[in-house]
Amino acid sequence: MSGRATRWLTPYLFLLPAAVVLGTFVLYPMVRVIGYSFSRSTPFLAPEGVGLANYEAILGSGRFWNAALNSAAYLLVTPIIIVLSLSAAMVIESGIRGRQWLRLMLFVPVITPTVVAALAWRLLFGEEDGLINQALGAIGIDPIAWLTQRPWTLVTAMTVTVWKGFGFYMMVFVAALLSVPKELKEAAVLDGAGRFGVFRLVVLPAVWPSIVLVFVVSSIAALKVFDELFVTVKGVPLEHQTVVPLIYEEAFGRGNFGMASAMGVILFLLILGFSFMNLKLSLSRQKPADQARAGARADAGGTH
Amino acid sequence: MLERRPIWLNAWLYLIAGLLVAVAVGPALWLALTAVQPAGTDLLRSSGDGSGKTLSIGFTWDHIARAWTDGKLAGPMLNSVLVSFARAVLNVLVAALAAYPLARMSFAARNVVFTLILATMMVPEQVTIVPMFTTVVGLGMYDTLVALIVPLAVSAFGIFLCRQAMMAVPKELEEAASIDGASPLAIWWHVMLPSIRPTLATLFAFSLIGAWSELLWPLVVLQTKSGFTLPVAVNELVGQFAASARVYYAAAVLALVPILVAFMLLQRFLKGGMFDGAVKG
Repeated sequence: MSGRATRWLTPYLFLLPAAVVLGTFVLYPMVRVIGYSFSRSTPFLAPEGVGLANYEAILGSGRFWNAALNSAAYLLVTPIIIVLSLSAAMVIESGIRGRQWLRLMLFVPVITPTVVAALAWRLLFGEEDGLINQALGAIGIDPIAWLTQRPWTLVTAMTVTVWKGFGFYMMVFVAALLSVPKELKEAAVLDGAGRFGVFRLVVLPAVWPSIVLVFVVSSIAALKVFDELFVTVKGVPLEHQTVVPLIYEEAFGRGNFGMASAMGVILFLLILGFSFMNLKLSLSRQKPADQARAGARADAGGTH
Repeated sequence: MLERRPIWLNAWLYLIAGLLVAVAVGPALWLALTAVQPAGTDLLRSSGDGSGKTLSIGFTWDHIARAWTDGKLAGPMLNSVLVSFARAVLNVLVAALAAYPLARMSFAARNVVFTLILATMMVPEQVTIVPMFTTVVGLGMYDTLVALIVPLAVSAFGIFLCRQAMMAVPKELEEAASIDGASPLAIWWHVMLPSIRPTLATLFAFSLIGAWSELLWPLVVLQTKSGFTLPVAVNELVGQFAASARVYYAAAVLALVPILVAFMLLQRFLKGGMFDGAVKG
């Protein structure tokens, strides 16, 4: 009897540590953040319900829309990351010599702590003697205020995000490229496709699911960005910032927990949009594959 | 076989590879060179005839030493090592524990539990940061390293990764151990964990890198300077040494070196030999 009870309990015992951590620090806060968002709450006051007041204040304030607009602009990192990481993956997959070293080198930014990356680029983007302005000066372009002026501050932070991110997504594309059957490429060549044709007709469709994945994941990461703005362009006014730095300032600078939570919920809804897009795309991707498999099965059945 | 690549295409590939390496390694290298450049001298000096600039690399320990002593980085370094290592170990163990029943046992609540775990993946900590903070304060963890370790001791992604890997382990291994009378915990330890070692190593490495780099959460829950982790401490130095930037660049280099070394040591254990042969030769 006790043996049966332990057998029944076993899976739950294995799950216990994870359940305690995720329950206390993820699921419970998920519920609480909604409650906070409908209340006035500070570090020193117990939450007091205010209905939709926080949401009304946020959606009616220029501050939030400005940050949201900056976040929308920040999404431009996504196409740049896709092009850069796919190109890097294709160079690696082409089988050039030293590609293992190449892979390792391109992974250095991924390992670099964001604060370090931010300072490295702060140095390069230095307004007076930074390498980038010096190089621009050499070709006759006036120095740019990378660290203090809009929209350059956003461009500077985005550069750090792209730099730190592309090596990781490159690994996703390397795996995808390695799974493209050689026979398909050879067949395309036999059918008279050029290099670009092979890329467009064989490689691109094969890595398309990975492109969608990277698109969604890096978009969500871009909406969550904080470190890059906080350190690279340290000290710029709030108008230069995106949504998460605004949440941080609202919660821990001004102590408006209710407002910050309502902003968090809005951020979640934006992120949810991308997650659903991912789900929908991966489902629609599944279908043609299933149909093809069903078709192949039907063909096989026909020959018997 | 595909036709051989023409020379122009090969040259193009090496050119792009070279550019990518320059972009990837250049900024960190420039940072390091600047950090050890003696005060009062520039890396790029105008050449005498005014025709352009020349690179002149110098070396001094001064800024590194000042960052370490005046910047009081010994404490943060120790804290970062402790937090990152604890986080990586816990992330692997807790995720692998949870993944085992999800991959290999049938029990009533399995689908509900798995769905709940996946749901936590959709809500990033930036969204719930306020209630996470009040929860940590309520539990008396504020301004302690525990607040950096326990709340992030496991991730849904880690559980998912381990579950996928465990589902691919042959059933026979498990059955053989079970017939020999091994308990579920023994099977987990002696059969499951060794079978998914590359996945565990990958999860370990990524948890380590993530914890080492983390800024927002430590910024929120830490207050006492001696309890800072490296990213928070380095960020502080940017304000403190505003007048001598090379000191905080040196601090940044000190924050970079340990994780680079750790990754070099770890990389050959990573999944699918992500970087096979790169360092070993």
